[in-house]
Amino acid sequence: MKHVELIGVSKSFEKQQNVLNEIDLSIEKGEFFVLVGPSGSGKSTLLRMIAGLEDITGGILKISDKTVNHLPPKDRNLSMVFQNYALYPHLTVEQNILFGLHVKKTPKKEQQKRLKETADMMGLTELLKRKPKELSGGQRQRVALARSVVSESPICLMDEPLSNLDAKLRAHMRIEIRRLQKKLGLTMIYVTHDQVEAMTMGDRIMVLNEGKIQQVGKPITLYNKPANLFVASFIGSPKMNMGKAVFSNQQLIIEDKLHLSLDRAEAAGIPKDKNLNIGIRAEHIFPGTHDNTTHELEVINVEQLGNETLITFEIGKELWTAKWLGQWNVHTGDKVAVSISMKNMSFFDADSGLLIKPASAEREQEVVAI
Amino acid sequence: MASFSLGKTMKYILLIFFALLFLMPVYVIIVTSLKPLDEVSLEHMWALPSSIDFSSYVQAVKELAPNFMNSVYLVIPATLLSALLGAMNGYVLSKWKFKGSETLFTFILFGMFIPYQSILIPMIQFIRSIGLYDTIPGLVLVHVVYGLPITTLMFRNFYANIPDQMIEAAKIDGASFLGVFRHIMVPLSITGFVVVAIWQFTNIWNEFLFAVTVTTNETQPVMVALQNLSGSQIVQWNVQMAGAVIAALPTLLIYILLGKYFVRGLLAGSVKG
Amino acid sequence: MELAEHKKRNRRKMTKDHWTAVAFLIPSVILILIFVYGFIAWTGYVSVSNWSTLVPDFSFAGLQNYISLFQDYRFQSDLRNTIFFTIFFIGLVIVMGLGLGILIDQKLKGESLFRNIFLFPMALSFIVTGVVWQWLLNPSTGFNQFLKFFGITPKWYTDTNILAGFEWGQIEFGVPVAIIAVVIAAAWQMTGFSLAMYLAGLRGVPDELREAARMDGASEFQIYRKVVIPMLMPITVSVIIIMAHMSLKIFDLIYAMTGSGANFVTDVPAVYMYETTFKGNNYANGAAIAIIMLLVVAVFIVPYLWNSRKGDH
Repeated sequence: MKHVELIGVSKSFEKQQNVLNEIDLSIEKGEFFVLVGPSGSGKSTLLRMIAGLEDITGGILKISDKTVNHLPPKDRNLSMVFQNYALYPHLTVEQNILFGLHVKKTPKKEQQKRLKETADMMGLTELLKRKPKELSGGQRQRVALARSVVSESPICLMDEPLSNLDAKLRAHMRIEIRRLQKKLGLTMIYVTHDQVEAMTMGDRIMVLNEGKIQQVGKPITLYNKPANLFVASFIGSPKMNMGKAVFSNQQLIIEDKLHLSLDRAEAAGIPKDKNLNIGIRAEHIFPGTHDNTTHELEVINVEQLGNETLITFEIGKELWTAKWLGQWNVHTGDKVAVSISMKNMSFFDADSGLLIKPASAEREQEVVAI
Repeated sequence: MASFSLGKTMKYILLIFFALLFLMPVYVIIVTSLKPLDEVSLEHMWALPSSIDFSSYVQAVKELAPNFMNSVYLVIPATLLSALLGAMNGYVLSKWKFKGSETLFTFILFGMFIPYQSILIPMIQFIRSIGLYDTIPGLVLVHVVYGLPITTLMFRNFYANIPDQMIEAAKIDGASFLGVFRHIMVPLSITGFVVVAIWQFTNIWNEFLFAVTVTTNETQPVMVALQNLSGSQIVQWNVQMAGAVIAALPTLLIYILLGKYFVRGLLAGSVKG
Repeated sequence: MELAEHKKRNRRKMTKDHWTAVAFLIPSVILILIFVYGFIAWTGYVSVSNWSTLVPDFSFAGLQNYISLFQDYRFQSDLRNTIFFTIFFIGLVIVMGLGLGILIDQKLKGESLFRNIFLFPMALSFIVTGVVWQWLLNPSTGFNQFLKFFGITPKWYTDTNILAGFEWGQIEFGVPVAIIAVVIAAAWQMTGFSLAMYLAGLRGVPDELREAARMDGASEFQIYRKVVIPMLMPITVSVIIIMAHMSLKIFDLIYAMTGSGANFVTDVPAVYMYETTFKGNNYANGAAIAIIMLLVVAVFIVPYLWNSRKGDH
């Protein structure tokens, strides 16, 4: 069932027109949906419009098939977790959690029941009598989450809830939030600027840029088949290696520097007369072996992460990074053998930015469950 | 979406109602002060004058002019001196914390809250004994001393907002206590001085208790003279109102022109730095 | 060897700076010591003396002056008046300041204009205010011209009625109606202060908090009652303390507006002190009143100052 639906939704402010432009979107019940994009892309505004904290300039917003454009937040049966947690400083943790129920005049017995369940679930039972200023960042975050959980709203909105936490805690909370969502069957709409969060948490993700949808789909789909240049460079870490490309004399020439022999089968269907950009993922610049080396490139930077090695080359005006598993004995200035082939490249129309041909699909590694 | 459900018009109506209420006395003062004496009657207080008559102002100026100047001679030196001392104290207490500096600060601050009645008698005796009774310099001395706590408070809070790191950088560069004061604090203090000066100017100009006990007759500042006007036998309301306008003019002008700094001074009066 | 030399040189430089700092502070500290604490002690000394004429008389009177004061009709009236003036004045200033602050906080147009209108009386002297409101609340003039249409003509500060009075000592203990007039004038002048404080505080309540409350289902009214106003509690406390200390000492306004009033209905300790000392030459009596005033103010101020100090650590 379509739980949340946006039809042609636009938003303009007095000072800024078209912050969001003709957004069409539908989110299924129980889905973990991520809105991701750079700052200023409009993702928080979109979330706040769903919440009812901002007016909708144009278009229709439906929740459970009911048009809710003019419904105030409290009538939309949503819950929200804010970036800075928004805990009431003058109330205890217990009062913070129960604030919503208190204000809606839920019977006391019901309040206590839900409080106990939620506190147990979030590990807050010991902290109920404390005030927010006595809590650590992670504890405050859990209280903010508890407030949502206790409301038993089927839809939960999250506005960059993890951005104020340190990296380790963030990684841990990603898992916790995901588990919570699955356990309670919530429909989650999650906003973040961090593409790693988007990739790891979303059932489906939507990339936004400058108020327009760039692509919607499963994370892995956006990774393998980015719809345009923006998505290609936004998703994936390290960034997808990009370059200008031109077909000439039976060759593909990238950034006027890298020459690849033309692979007929791969080149079919790509218009030769357009301005082209290609993209190739870091893990697809393979270390060159005896029989498959295609180029020798000079290393300008090496990063040893322990489990993998990132090696940077200069390709024309671009810097390309290769990701090799393991610890490789490579140093700046070395000339290194690599294997680059057209079949790992995605082709884009340089003028429109749109995808022409994705890299050939990798064999999906299936894990057989026993 | 994001405001009181009371309806915008209702809010405007309420605000305008109260604003008019607050401005009503102004209307009355101005209207009364512009009436000739025969028109000033209790029944027609609200009526506009039949013609604009400045005669009450002429008379008020005649009566109050010398006292007005007394106030000027009082306020300017007193403001400057108490501000300077306050800046010095504020600097030390905010940037050179030593053991007991907080207690010392509280010790000084208490002086701001005491009822001046509790020091009035010895103060008069003292002023008499050093021959400054019934003089403006005597009154200046009084205001400088009792202005110390508030100016110290305001400057301490003001300087607390100057990042310690700036001072530390200067110390590493070799600046001494005085050097830091001269080269960093004072140049950055212009706003602070303006706020303190406006505050002191307003308070000292408007002050009454010290003025009425330390000075008499010709030496009195304008507020005492104004009060005397209204205590006289025949109450000429139009002259009184004109007098009130004249006496209030300097502080009002400062408020209108430099209101932003006035408000800052107001808020600095809440002790929590 | 070098390290020790360096340390000594540093300590010497520190000491020079240290002495300059002391030099900066010493004048003020000495002045405060003498003119505040010393003079208070002196006033205390006078209050237990017999000095009641132009000629100083420092013979010891013990607590006699205090005892007589508390049995004095005028002083008892003063205490009563001060209590009710303080309560009504603070109440009105807080309600008005908070109410107007919330209204102005509603993101309406003309915000600075309104703020300036409510604040400007603070630039005036209490004398000016007293002179003007004496005129405005004169029973034959002023507001009564309007109120005549409604059929009521209050006697304002000439009213010697005491509401809900019961006998207490020598006086009737109740609300002197006349004090209402003075409360109005004082509130007109000082509402701007609490307004400025509350406005600053309202700005300090993060939007996110109000939005979270909205999401939690609270109405705007509930948000004010349960989130915003409780968060403004520290400001309310500050305003109460500062207004209280002001109202306990109030002198200029009363002196200019009503004087002590018939049957002392608007008299306050500060006026009594002034008149008994400088008109009646009864210095010992005046000193005793002054000390009592000081002690009452200290009850509010000392805890307030002590708390602020702890906060700084």
